[in-house]
Amino acid sequence: MKTAHIYERCDEKTVAGLTESLVREYRERAVTSHAIREQHSHGEGLADAGMPDIVVFPTSNDEVASIVRTCNAARIPVIAFGVGTSLEGHVAALYGGVCLDLSRMDRVLEVNAADLDCRVQAGVTREALNAELKGTGLFFPIDPGANATIGGMASTRASGTNAVRYGTMRENVLGLTVVTADGRIVRTGGRARKSSAGYDLTRLFVGSEGTLGIITEVQLRLYGLPEAISAAVCQFADLEGAVDSVIVAMQLGIPVARIELLDDVQMKACILHSHLDEFAAKPTLFFEFHGTPAAVREQAEAIQAIAGEHGGSRFQWAIAQEERSRLWKARHDAYYAALALAPGKQAFATDACVPISRLTECVLETQADIVETGLVAPIVGHVGDGNFHLVVLFDPADPDERAKAEALAARVSMRAIRMGGTCTGEHGVGVHKLDALVAEHGEAVTLMQSIKRALDPNDILNPGKTVPPEKVRSTTS
Amino acid sequence: MLDPTFTSALSAIVSREALLTEPEDTRPYECDGLTLYREQPGAVVLPDNEAQVVAILKLCHAARVPVVARGSGTSLSGGALPLAQGVVLSLAKFRRILAIDPLARTAQVEPGVRNLAISEAAAPYGLFYAPDPSSQIACSIGGNVAENAGGVHCLKYGLTVHNVRKVRAVLVNGEIVEFGGDALDSPGFDLLALITGSEGLLAVITQITVKLLPEPELAQVALAAFDDIEKAAAAVGNIIAAGIVPGGLEMMDREATRAVEQFVHANYPLDAAAVLLVEADGTPSEVAAEMAEIEQVLLASGATEIRVSENEAQRLLFWSGRKAAFPAVGRISPDYYCIDGTIPRAALPRVLRQIETWSREYGLPCANVFHAGDGNLHPLILFDANKPGDRERTVEFGDRILELCIDVGGTITGEHGVGVEKIRGMCAQFAPEALERFLAIKRAFDPHGLLNPGKAVPTLARCAELGRMHVHAGQLPHPELPRF
Repeated sequence: MKTAHIYERCDEKTVAGLTESLVREYRERAVTSHAIREQHSHGEGLADAGMPDIVVFPTSNDEVASIVRTCNAARIPVIAFGVGTSLEGHVAALYGGVCLDLSRMDRVLEVNAADLDCRVQAGVTREALNAELKGTGLFFPIDPGANATIGGMASTRASGTNAVRYGTMRENVLGLTVVTADGRIVRTGGRARKSSAGYDLTRLFVGSEGTLGIITEVQLRLYGLPEAISAAVCQFADLEGAVDSVIVAMQLGIPVARIELLDDVQMKACILHSHLDEFAAKPTLFFEFHGTPAAVREQAEAIQAIAGEHGGSRFQWAIAQEERSRLWKARHDAYYAALALAPGKQAFATDACVPISRLTECVLETQADIVETGLVAPIVGHVGDGNFHLVVLFDPADPDERAKAEALAARVSMRAIRMGGTCTGEHGVGVHKLDALVAEHGEAVTLMQSIKRALDPNDILNPGKTVPPEKVRSTTS
Repeated sequence: MLDPTFTSALSAIVSREALLTEPEDTRPYECDGLTLYREQPGAVVLPDNEAQVVAILKLCHAARVPVVARGSGTSLSGGALPLAQGVVLSLAKFRRILAIDPLARTAQVEPGVRNLAISEAAAPYGLFYAPDPSSQIACSIGGNVAENAGGVHCLKYGLTVHNVRKVRAVLVNGEIVEFGGDALDSPGFDLLALITGSEGLLAVITQITVKLLPEPELAQVALAAFDDIEKAAAAVGNIIAAGIVPGGLEMMDREATRAVEQFVHANYPLDAAAVLLVEADGTPSEVAAEMAEIEQVLLASGATEIRVSENEAQRLLFWSGRKAAFPAVGRISPDYYCIDGTIPRAALPRVLRQIETWSREYGLPCANVFHAGDGNLHPLILFDANKPGDRERTVEFGDRILELCIDVGGTITGEHGVGVEKIRGMCAQFAPEALERFLAIKRAFDPHGLLNPGKAVPTLARCAELGRMHVHAGQLPHPELPRF
C-alpha cells in the first residue's frame, strides 16, 4: 500500500469566513497571530509542515462541540492540542484548519478517593493533577517524562517509566467524554470498574490521536501512594548483562515500579549534563521500588542478586526523596543531555518495543548497527516493557548525515517489527510512523480506515494522522 | 430451514460429521447458559481449521446467511443463542495450545481451549492465566475474549481485555486480520480492545495470545463475618480506600452463605448477615504485611469474626463455597435469575439495602454473591418458573436492579455481556449518540449485519420500541426518536 501524502490546504475563502466568525464569537480566545499559530504547528519532535489557520482556546465541552460542528459543516480540519509535547508530528496542521488548544480546560472535576478514581478536563497536566491529589494519599502514576496534559496522554496512549508496574493509559483510563466529528458529546465508560456492555469505545478513543473524536474529559484510575519508595542504580560491564538482568527480573515477576536502561553513551551524556559524578560511563540500570518497607527491601535485594550474576556492580541505594528526584530528573533529562553531546545538532527519538524475550537480541543488534553508522545515538529505555529509544543525533546542515540517521531509525523500526514487536511502543503514529504502521498491521489498516470513515466521514479530525489517508483530501466537493 | 443449495455448499467445506442439520442433532445448540431463550439453528458447522472458517464465512457472506460463533456455550447472556435461519459456527474443535513462551510469558492458543486448560499447561513454568470466570473448567478462551470475561482475580490482575496480547480473527468477508501484537503496545487504533467484548458481532476469532503471570509464592485468604450487610459493603470500600488491592475481594450474603454451606460444608458462619473473602498474594513478607493491614481494616469496619487460612487446603476450602455458589443456589430453588450489574464501590451499601427491600416487596428471595472489590453484583433472584407470575415479577425485579445500577453511575453488565438478555438495558444505559457510534463500528466491520445479529447492540428503532418498558419517573427515554 502506498502512503504518500499530498498536503492540500482548504480553500481560502471558506477558511477566512470561518476564522472571522470564530474571532467574533471567541474574541481574545481565538488567535490568528503568526507566532501563536507557529507554536501550535509542532510538538517536541522535528518541525513539520503545516500551521493551523487559527488557534481557539475553548473552555467547555459545549464550546468544543460547537466549533467542531461548524468545522464539520465547512469541511475544515480540527486538530486538538494539549501542551505540544508529542514527538511524531501529531499536532501538525497538515491541511491548515482550526487548532483547538484545550489547555484552558484545566479543572479537576471530581476526586473519588474511596473509589480510587477521578475525573479531569483534558487540559489538566499530569503534574497539576498530582499536585491537586496531594493530601488525599493518592497519586496518578503514568509518567511519560514530559508534563503532558491528561487529554494528550489519553489521545496518544502514553506510557512511560513506570508502565511496567502501573500499565499505560490503556489500563488507566476508565471513561471519557468525547466530542465526535458531528459535534456531539458522547460519554464512554464510567465509574464502574468493569463493563462488558457495548463495544469498548473508551479504548478505541484512547490512542486514536484526535482522529476519531476530541477527548474533553477523562475518568482516571488512581493509586494509593506507596508506603515506601526506594531507588537503586546498578552499573554493568556490558549492555548484554544489563538487559539480561531485566529479563530475569521480569521473568521472576518482581514488581519493580520502574526499570530504565541507559547505555554507555547516554550515561556519559547524563553524567556531564546532570552532574552524576559518582557514576561511570557504563551501561546502567535505574530502578524504583514501591510497596511496604519490607516488600521494597525484598525487591531490591532480589534485583541486587540478579544484577550480581550478570556482571553488575556498584549497586547503590537511594532512599531519600531528594536523591531519588535527582536520579530520575537525570533520566528524564536524557534527551537534552544527549543533545548537549553535540551542540548544533538536532535529534529525533525512535520508539521500538519488542517482546521481552527478544530484547537482548534487539538491543545488541541495534547497538552494533549504531556503531557501524558512526552516528551518535544513545540508547535509553523502559526496558521492563521491552521498550527502548534511540536519540539519533544529526547535523541538520548535512543532508547525508540526516539520511543516514533516518535510515538507522527505519532499520530500528523494521528490526522491532521483525522480532514480533512494534515501531511505536509509546510515542504513537502521528504522521511520521504511518509507513511503519502499514508494515506492521497489514490488513488491519484497511479496517482502521473503515473505522475512521465510520466515525469521521468528512475526515475533519486531525486528518492525515494515525491511519494512512485513503485518498488525497479534497475540499472542493 | 436453510436453502438446500446453501447447506450442500456448506457440506463441501467440512467433513460429513462436521455439519449438523437434523433437528435432533442441532437441539443441543438451541441455547447457551441462559436457558430462558431457545431457538434451533438452521445448521451447525464444526470446522477444524482456519481455512474452513474462511470458506464458511465467505459462503455465508455471499448467501447473506447470519452466523453465530459458539465456544463452550456457557454464556449467561444468550450470546450464543442461534437463529432459525442461521448457521452456528462452533469452534469446539479449535482446542490446541500452540505455544507457551515462558520468557515472554505468553500462551498462544486456539479459541476452543478451556480457560483452565491454559493455566494447567502453564503451571510447569510457574505461570498462570489470571482471568478466572467461575465456569473456568468449561468455558472457552474464545468465548472469554468475545465477552471480555472477568472472575475473582480480575480486581488485581485485570479483565480479559488486560490479559490478551494478540487475536487472529476472520472477518465476515473471509479476510484474516491480526489485532494487537506480541509487544507491549501496538500502533494505531486499539482494535484489540474493540474485538474484546464484541460478542461475536465483529469477527470470528481463530487464535489468541494471552499474557501469563508468575504464580504468587503464597496466597492467603481472610474470611470475615459481619452482622450487617451495609457494614460489610462499607468494609469493601475501606479496604480499597486504604490502598490495598487484594488478589480477590468477594462477598456473600446470608442467603448465599446458607445455600453454599449445605453444599460444600466449609463451616461458614451461618448467623452472619454477610461474609467477605479477602485474598492477599505475593511473597510471604508481602502477604504477612498486607494481611495484617486487611485484618485491621476489617475489624475497624465492624467485622464480628475473622478467620485467616492457615494452609493451602484451608484457603481452597474457604473459596470452595464462593466458586460453587451458583450450583449451590440451583439446589435450593427451582429457578434463579442472575444479574450482572456493576456499580462504583461506594454505592454498594445503598444498592444492597435497596435489593433487600425489593426482595421483601416482591416476595422473591435474593442471594447475593459477588465480586465486591470490582463493585460487580451478582444478585441471584430465586423463583419458580412453574408458579404463575413468578417469572414476570423476577424480570421486573431484575430490571429495577439494573436501572438502579445505571442511576448510581454503573453498568448493566460487568462481565457477562449483553447478548439478547440485556438488549433493553442498553437503551437505558447508552444515549443515542453512543449507540450510533456502536452501530457505525458494526457497519465498518460487517456492513450486512451477518455476525450474531440481534445481540449486544440494539438498533435505535428497537430502543424506541422498547422504550415504553423503561418509563422511569414519568420520563420517556429518547423522546426524540420515532415510535412504532
